[in-house]
Amino acid sequence: MLENLPVLSLIIWIPLLGSLVVLFLPGYNARAVRGAAIFFAVVPLLLALWLYASYEPIVGGQAFAEQGTWLSVPLNAEAFGLHANVASYRLAFDYRLGVDGISLPLVLLTGVVAAMASLASVHIRKRWKTYFTLFLLLQTGMYGVFLARDVTLFFIFFELTLVPMFFLIGIWGYFGREKAANRFLVYNGLGSAVMLLAFLILIATLGFSSAETSGGTELIFSGSYDTMLANLKDPNAAAHQNSAMFLSENLKWAAFVLLLVAFGIKLPMFPFHTWMLKVHTEAPPAVVMIHSGILLKMGAYGLIRFAAFLLPVQLHASSTVLAIIGVVNILYGAVLACVQKEFKLVLAYSSVSQMGIVLLGIASLNETGFEGAIYQAVSHGLISALLFLLVGSLHERTGTTRIDELGGLAQTVPFLSGILLTAGLASLGLPGLSGFVGEFLSFLGLFSSMKALTAVGVIGVLLAAVYVLRSVLAITNGPLPERFAGLKDARFVEALPMVVLTALIVLLGIYPSLLTDLMQHGFDGLLKELQTRVGG
Amino acid sequence: MATVFSQYAWLVPAFPLAAFAILTAFGRGWSRAGAWIATLASLASFALSLIIAIERIVSNAEDYVGGFDWLRAGAVNLTAGYEVTNLTALMLVVVTLVAFLVNLYSLGYMGEDERMTVFFSYVALFTSSMLGLVLADNLMILYVCWELVGVCSFLLIGFWYRKPEARAAAKKAFIVTRVGDLGLLIAILLLFWYMPDHALDFASLHNVFHTQSGIISTSITTLIALLIFVGAVGKSGQFPLHVWLPDAMEGPTPISALIHAATMVAAGVFLVVRTFDIFQASQAALDTVAIVGAFTALFAATIGLAQNDIKRVLAYSTVSQLGYMMLALGVGSTTAAMFHLFTHAFFKALLFLGAGSVIHAIHTQDIREMGGLGSRMKATAWTFGIGVLALSGIPPLSGFWSKDAILSAALEKSPWLFAVGVLTAFFTALYMARLFFLVFTGKARGDAATYARAKDAPWTMTIPLIVLAALAVVSGFVQTPMSGWLGSWLWSGEAKEHAEGVAIVASVAASLLGIYLGWLIYAKGTIRRDAVSSRLPWLVKLLERKYYIDELYELLFVRSLRGLGKALAVFDDVVVDGAVKLAGGAVAGLGRLNTRLQNGQVQTYGLVAVIATVVLVLAIAGRRFW
Repeated sequence: MLENLPVLSLIIWIPLLGSLVVLFLPGYNARAVRGAAIFFAVVPLLLALWLYASYEPIVGGQAFAEQGTWLSVPLNAEAFGLHANVASYRLAFDYRLGVDGISLPLVLLTGVVAAMASLASVHIRKRWKTYFTLFLLLQTGMYGVFLARDVTLFFIFFELTLVPMFFLIGIWGYFGREKAANRFLVYNGLGSAVMLLAFLILIATLGFSSAETSGGTELIFSGSYDTMLANLKDPNAAAHQNSAMFLSENLKWAAFVLLLVAFGIKLPMFPFHTWMLKVHTEAPPAVVMIHSGILLKMGAYGLIRFAAFLLPVQLHASSTVLAIIGVVNILYGAVLACVQKEFKLVLAYSSVSQMGIVLLGIASLNETGFEGAIYQAVSHGLISALLFLLVGSLHERTGTTRIDELGGLAQTVPFLSGILLTAGLASLGLPGLSGFVGEFLSFLGLFSSMKALTAVGVIGVLLAAVYVLRSVLAITNGPLPERFAGLKDARFVEALPMVVLTALIVLLGIYPSLLTDLMQHGFDGLLKELQTRVGG
Repeated sequence: MATVFSQYAWLVPAFPLAAFAILTAFGRGWSRAGAWIATLASLASFALSLIIAIERIVSNAEDYVGGFDWLRAGAVNLTAGYEVTNLTALMLVVVTLVAFLVNLYSLGYMGEDERMTVFFSYVALFTSSMLGLVLADNLMILYVCWELVGVCSFLLIGFWYRKPEARAAAKKAFIVTRVGDLGLLIAILLLFWYMPDHALDFASLHNVFHTQSGIISTSITTLIALLIFVGAVGKSGQFPLHVWLPDAMEGPTPISALIHAATMVAAGVFLVVRTFDIFQASQAALDTVAIVGAFTALFAATIGLAQNDIKRVLAYSTVSQLGYMMLALGVGSTTAAMFHLFTHAFFKALLFLGAGSVIHAIHTQDIREMGGLGSRMKATAWTFGIGVLALSGIPPLSGFWSKDAILSAALEKSPWLFAVGVLTAFFTALYMARLFFLVFTGKARGDAATYARAKDAPWTMTIPLIVLAALAVVSGFVQTPMSGWLGSWLWSGEAKEHAEGVAIVASVAASLLGIYLGWLIYAKGTIRRDAVSSRLPWLVKLLERKYYIDELYELLFVRSLRGLGKALAVFDDVVVDGAVKLAGGAVAGLGRLNTRLQNGQVQTYGLVAVIATVVLVLAIAGRRFW
């Protein structure tokens, strides 16, 4: 019944609609505002589940494509110099959406985490209306990022996530919220500028296509991702236009490095990680769920979607460097997580460590590793969302998340403690829970080409056990401080998202094919390019 | 012959898994009902295992493999498969029997605990994972279950979560065994890329390493075997990763019997047996296994001499006996190793449950505060005594036959390994005699009021003791020098053990000597107890402090990691974040400088204008010279 509807557009724009609806609801009626926000967060999730159910992995292609012309600007022909075959130039901005085996898992992740985070927003105590307006706007941006098939559109959605995030941190955060928000905006703004530069290079040198008009051949520049992929594969692409304009090796390297920095900041990649520490500690937990659960994954997605797929030769040439950065991420993050006294910082550094595994998967250059990277991204998204959900509930009860001030909570809040332990075990990569699969596939993928480096990276798995058990057991076990004696366990509205997330983590751990089957053929194009360009 | 029951083997782990799921989902607030559900589930598993084993014994059934697709990703295509062979059937029986008896025992032992349901749900999850480990038809699923039993062990060690010691012990157990797990993980990664078709199932491993050996080079084979062994060392508490096992005694005693004596710690031995084709392809790996095993056996036995906690003595004894099993594997006798695993499971579980009864009765674990309990706890004393004799290797009890099989195998390979084995047998008998006489004979040294109330435990706790004691007596007859039934059944007619007369005489003499010496010191008092400690105080101190291995690790790993972490924290804050702040600060500073120039004073503007003009002129003029 949904086949005839533009499902992808609906997924993107329904939260925006919700954002407008919330704007017109009376602000004093917290119930109505919250209910509407949850409703508009759940509908896209249901649509995403429909996508999941009806998606068939096909060889080398996207599905559910939607497109439309949006804006078209004629360009001054003289500026390009004279070219024999071309009569005129045009710059086209198109609205192109599509989903494939790489983006669909992340769309699903976004749906789940966003819906659960909206449930978790019960801890928000002021200005609900503004909060949920921004919260829904943020969701539109995130879905857009994963569904866009045009670099311009991608960029716009990417920017769209920054603004609501800035206010969500700055207004509803903890004590140091304003500084954290500024930090977030400056750093990510810088990343965006770098990304824009890379995209401009790609549009100018790779995103061209020609069309016959009455006045002769017209050369159209656009951000269309599929045009870029097609031009990349076409050995005669350079001849179709002024060959001096075609992507030179130097420009390719420039674009690759720029993309690596832009998405590396988001991921985060060492040494660009310090901005996210502040966000983790100062933002409200429901917002960190989104931040750690989804926004970081945009970095991983961008790296794979653009840096890897459009510049496979550069990816291949820099795979060792990427793997080294990944291992540094893993170990650096893990060692630092081992000495933190603030639980939120343990989780922040653990994110640095876990996202390093994504880099390893990408650096592996084989299907196993790529799928591992996506799996790890999804799994870490679920796990860190669950952990920050717990942080919110714990902080509401105890007023602190410092490890040395907590203890023995298993006695008063056994449900929360049990979920916390499960989430911790998932995060240290216990088989049977989702964290293990992504980790295992990534290591397995990288191991085929870089054995010693992988073995060093595997030490991170051991350190993960150290920092997770050290912090989780300090919170749940041991003697209970007097002042926490009368704490109440989770309410229904808190327990529901916890149970959902835990169930998904267990499900993906027990039966990983649920997700890996989706990714089948997702990397075909890239693998073929790697094989033909680099010779296997 | 068709396999009727073997194909339902997946039900064996499914029963306790279902019990775990039920208890976790609905068990809050239940107490005894939940415990009985778990106990009955383990009984069902045991019954089915027994049927499967009998079917295989009677009909000589062929191996059965089943399963479903688990993970497909890129080159990976793994099934969640199970395999029923005579070896796995034997393990199923051992695990389910001990699990059932421990469940039954825990009904009494944990009866007062408010979190009784949680305890039984953890035990059920453990049982299920352990059975999965046994049944797994490929290394990947084995690894998954391997980690799951590890986490159950962790949960149960830390079960009394209010105690900081329990918390520390649980953490230590998980992290130390994980060091070993990483070895196994890397071995799997290696195998995945070296094996034809990325196969990880045991049948393919057998093909590649045994039937058509030579596909994989010897150096890689050795590396893989050693890495697998690292995993086994972690799980089976072998030196140098033994440190977690004695601390694991912080867990409830039935857990020590089930996990840390009979089943999980033996998983390392089982792993080596399961992948023995790889070890056989590398002499270096086999030698390593033998030496580590022999060393651990002796090393742990000496520590056991000087411990005062009843459970810790037994824990070091377990480490030592697992060392024996590794020694057997190292000298190439899988039959002897499996045989000792089989008998040890019964008599060590018996000893732990007996110790549990003692602890339950008088609420202390310190043997210096015990004594004279034999008259008050007759059933416990008798069964414990049988366990002591079995462990010491006194004929015709089970431990004698299995230990003799190991020593005979060792003697064939190397007199040195044999000598270490015999010496260990002497120490084993000595520390067990010390334990028995200090606990059950002589005068009561503890609190008199507690003693007056000390009595044998209720039937749920006594029956397991009696069943296990019976097995400790008879289970050795499955494999004697006269009939090598177990070996020929396990490996379908391969190599029968043959015992050396020398080995029998030497090991029995060593054991008797040990017990006699123990009797002289701790019962009769002919030799003073401080005979050694007064002359060689440093030696006793060294043994009491367990050769200072814990202290060494604390210094080497814990402190250095903490130090590195602190250093990196400063680096992260000052250097990495500092660079960012500097960049941000530079922009802001430039902005501030410009603001200051806009101060409304004409003189300042004039000065700036003049300087700027000069700079511009110089720049334009300067271009000529470039």
